[in-house]
Amino acid sequence: MDITNKKILVCDDSVLARKQLLDAVKEIAEGGTFIEGKNGIDAVELYKSEKPDLVFLDIVMPEKDGTTALAEIKEFDSEAVIIIVSSVGTQDQLKKAIQLGAKDFIQKPFEKNQIREIIELRLGGK
Amino acid sequence: MYTQFLGNYLLQKGLVTQEQLFAAMARLSQSHIKLGTIAIHEGLMTANEVDECLYVQTREDKRFGEIAIERGYLEASQVDELLSKQTPEFLLLGQNLVDDGVFTYEELERVMFDYRNEAELYDLSLDVENEETIEAIISKFFLMAEMPRNDMNVMYLQLMFNSLIRFIGEDFSPLTPMVIDEFPITFGVSQSISSDREFLTHIDCDRETAIAFASRYAKEDFNEFNEYIVAALEDFLNLHNGLFMVNVSNLATKDLSLSPPEITEDGILCGSNKCVDFPVAYPFGTVHLIVCF
Repeated sequence: MDITNKKILVCDDSVLARKQLLDAVKEIAEGGTFIEGKNGIDAVELYKSEKPDLVFLDIVMPEKDGTTALAEIKEFDSEAVIIIVSSVGTQDQLKKAIQLGAKDFIQKPFEKNQIREIIELRLGGK
Repeated sequence: MYTQFLGNYLLQKGLVTQEQLFAAMARLSQSHIKLGTIAIHEGLMTANEVDECLYVQTREDKRFGEIAIERGYLEASQVDELLSKQTPEFLLLGQNLVDDGVFTYEELERVMFDYRNEAELYDLSLDVENEETIEAIISKFFLMAEMPRNDMNVMYLQLMFNSLIRFIGEDFSPLTPMVIDEFPITFGVSQSISSDREFLTHIDCDRETAIAFASRYAKEDFNEFNEYIVAALEDFLNLHNGLFMVNVSNLATKDLSLSPPEITEDGILCGSNKCVDFPVAYPFGTVHLIVCF
């Protein structure tokens, strides 16, 4: 799948989690620009300056957590496509994320198939 | 999880060395249970009878089952039944130790008997691990550490052992836990869960062990200590605590929040609560799981 001209922002405080997610995306799709952030502040700032087509956002992060960042990004751009990738998949977190406008919620550890589905659905242009 | 607990028991009683245990554990996935081992476990044959049949087998070109039937130790139907049984892994561990010459079948029979008594494993089903039994064994870890047990603590530790099996590997043995007032940190990561009280977990190990642990977690071959190693330890802890929160939230409506993991490179760990060190030995090194309840 070709995602040239698409920008993906990955925000996670773990360098390993970012690498694993990007590796999974790169396995499925070619091209594309990748931007990385490591906390909620990065997420909001990078979203505003880079206008990515797709955002993967962790919840438990230092400085500013993913839920707060999600709300702020949504306030800035209500069309933002944000996918939450978190280890804390409680019903409450899930509900909150969806209410705040997240498009999807992936529980860690993620399966590559889940990432494939997201990429195809959100960037596939179907 | 019976396998890991059996390992703990054998080490604690000084019946095996860590090297012997790891050698036997490393072959678990390639080993197949022998009819004799399972017959002893099921109480159909004694260790002496199995030894006798094995001896005969070295003289005559026959299957173990045939010999046992000829000698009147087993019925044909029992052989079929034993062959169709699911093999519990901890039994394989015992058999591997016999194969390695650490135990004789007779010693294994006694060890298993003592272990089952001590752990109060009375209805040791061959194919399913019994939830209550696991909880009972986990409770003993708190007893050993002279810690009061409660459902949440037991659940936490059980999930921790499960997370280790799932994300790092099953070839570990929990060592004897200890309550600690102060713990000198080698290297590690910490994370706390807050609810009505704070719950801090710290994973501590030396750097070489951390590299091996991280390699298994990330399924990559790391060979130097770098940011990925640290991140892998943090991710493991974060994943485990996340799973714990999901479990807890399914049971009760408790409001829990998880802080981002933190790196601690030296100093002394002392929490406001009682801390217990649950050391876990892997072939690549010992990892200290320190939980301040």
